[in-house]
Amino acid sequence: MVGLNGVTISVVLFGIGLLGLVLRRDLVVKLLALGLVNSAVILCLVSLGARPDGAPPILATPAASAIVDPLPQAIVLSAIVINFAILALALVFVMLLVERYHTTDSHRIERASAAEED
Amino acid sequence: MTAQLVLLALLPITAGLALLQRRRLHAIIGMGAFSLLLATVFLLANAPDVAITEAAIGAALVTLIYVLAIRKTGRLTVAASETPGLIGREGEQIVGLEWEILERLAADVGLDLVVQFASPEEVEEAIRRGEVDIGAGGILASECGENVLRTSGHLPTARFAVAGPRSEPGGKPAAPFRGELADVIDAVRRGAPVSATLDLARFLALSRYDLDAYAIERVEGDEAYVFVLPPSRRDLHQRLAEILARLAETGELDSMIRRHFP
Amino acid sequence: MRRAPVFTILAAIVLVAGFCAVVLTGFGFREPSAGDIDAWADVARRTGAINVVSSIYLNARLFDTLLEVLVFAVAVLGVHFYLTARGRPEPVESIPESNVVRIAADILLPPILLISIYVVLHGHLSPGGGFSGGVIAGTGLLLAAIALGTDTVTARLGPRLLDRAEWGTLLGILFLAFAPIFAGRPLLSDLLPAGTPGRLASGGSILLYNALIGAKVFVGSWVIVRHFVDHRGEI
Repeated sequence: MVGLNGVTISVVLFGIGLLGLVLRRDLVVKLLALGLVNSAVILCLVSLGARPDGAPPILATPAASAIVDPLPQAIVLSAIVINFAILALALVFVMLLVERYHTTDSHRIERASAAEED
Repeated sequence: MTAQLVLLALLPITAGLALLQRRRLHAIIGMGAFSLLLATVFLLANAPDVAITEAAIGAALVTLIYVLAIRKTGRLTVAASETPGLIGREGEQIVGLEWEILERLAADVGLDLVVQFASPEEVEEAIRRGEVDIGAGGILASECGENVLRTSGHLPTARFAVAGPRSEPGGKPAAPFRGELADVIDAVRRGAPVSATLDLARFLALSRYDLDAYAIERVEGDEAYVFVLPPSRRDLHQRLAEILARLAETGELDSMIRRHFP
Repeated sequence: MRRAPVFTILAAIVLVAGFCAVVLTGFGFREPSAGDIDAWADVARRTGAINVVSSIYLNARLFDTLLEVLVFAVAVLGVHFYLTARGRPEPVESIPESNVVRIAADILLPPILLISIYVVLHGHLSPGGGFSGGVIAGTGLLLAAIALGTDTVTARLGPRLLDRAEWGTLLGILFLAFAPIFAGRPLLSDLLPAGTPGRLASGGSILLYNALIGAKVFVGSWVIVRHFVDHRGEI
């Protein structure tokens, strides 16, 4: 049953992305892990609507036995594009940080900013 | 159906491998492959709209934008001998005063830094043969040979003669000890007679270890740490000198020194 | 000496695994009921479009899509603002690509743009639509920018045209959403008739929405891409 498998894998992916976000020090890899979390949520939504013997949600196919649920796909479609735009904005912020602190290591940035506050 | 299951099972493996990579470029390419795999999974789950959008965005645009952001057009090779405080490894990161100065230089010229750690003799050899661009790691102004370009010292220091417990303090002055700091520590631990002349950084590191009493004596003369460059990289030498001057002017050099040598 | 972070890593893994286990066991998965799905198919037949997904997000739930386009526009505006405030790095040397890339970009760019126009305009008949078609066109322009340089591409497109297109399309979308009032119909409904399903001229206003959203996403992604190509290598 593809739906339940998809949901399980998406939770596993979410966990991997969360671990990558917390444990890796490099800012760019943290952003990649955040993108992985986005993709996991999208996979979960799409597989919630999937059916084992379904058909794509296009009415022209003659064997339109039972189409898969089209609502999650509609929700997710514009979310993917917006994820891309927000990711570009996040990369811009990383550029600003690197210009200020000359490193992409999150620990050193935290230490440097804490030292600046003193 | 089984193809779908196989692809679904491949997804976490690809993502995990991609996020575990050391170099950022490899992680980005791994995540691009993951996006393509995800688009195929969407296609097999009868969601063609989502598949087209995910393939166009995740595999193409996002990967391209990341690569554009981190892409530099060349490399700077650095040969260094590990000196705690100046340039050293901490896990998988490299830290140190000289490392930070080198990072500024790399950001200034827009190149990637690649560091090779070696013993001081090998560093000297590599510079003399022009194999690397910069030599770093606690090189003293008086010790680097001829035919190399030196920067002005960025950290004044002094040399200390260290003697192990069995040798006589104030004995004959030893030749400068060339070798890894670990060898000196080993020798003092074993109680072998050793006379070495260490510069300040290595001496500070030595004093953090719990060793038997050893005699120290300050050797005359002022020293300073420098970077060495082969004579073919005059342009790099000038940029580095400019950066050092600017750092000293704004006082940033002092704060960096204080951060690494409290 | 630093404390080895093995303990932190293990603790993080245990916590995340616990979270995943809790989510998976507490999740009551139910197959989607046939009644719901048939309702969406009926909505699609009513609008005259064949692509059920596009009839959902461009007709039944149009309001969400309008706001999402607005979010996209604001994100593009943010990238534009922060990267123009920093000033362009001097000199912006072109990426030293080989002739293969330049010639390939010359050959590939027209088909890519044609395909993107096809995907955008047939959004109500086959998979695709405004979002994917706009992104495809943006990727094509990225290829051209890598091969020719962003200055050339901006000069050929016309900088004024880009500015006007960016906000013009957004205004066009909003106007199209409010326009049915003048025809006496409620807000956010169709302007054009449904037509026979399967033809290009069907699906009500879905075609117009797709075209406008495709243009908006195209211009927005070109703005993002141009700034990233100009400021490359800064991380």
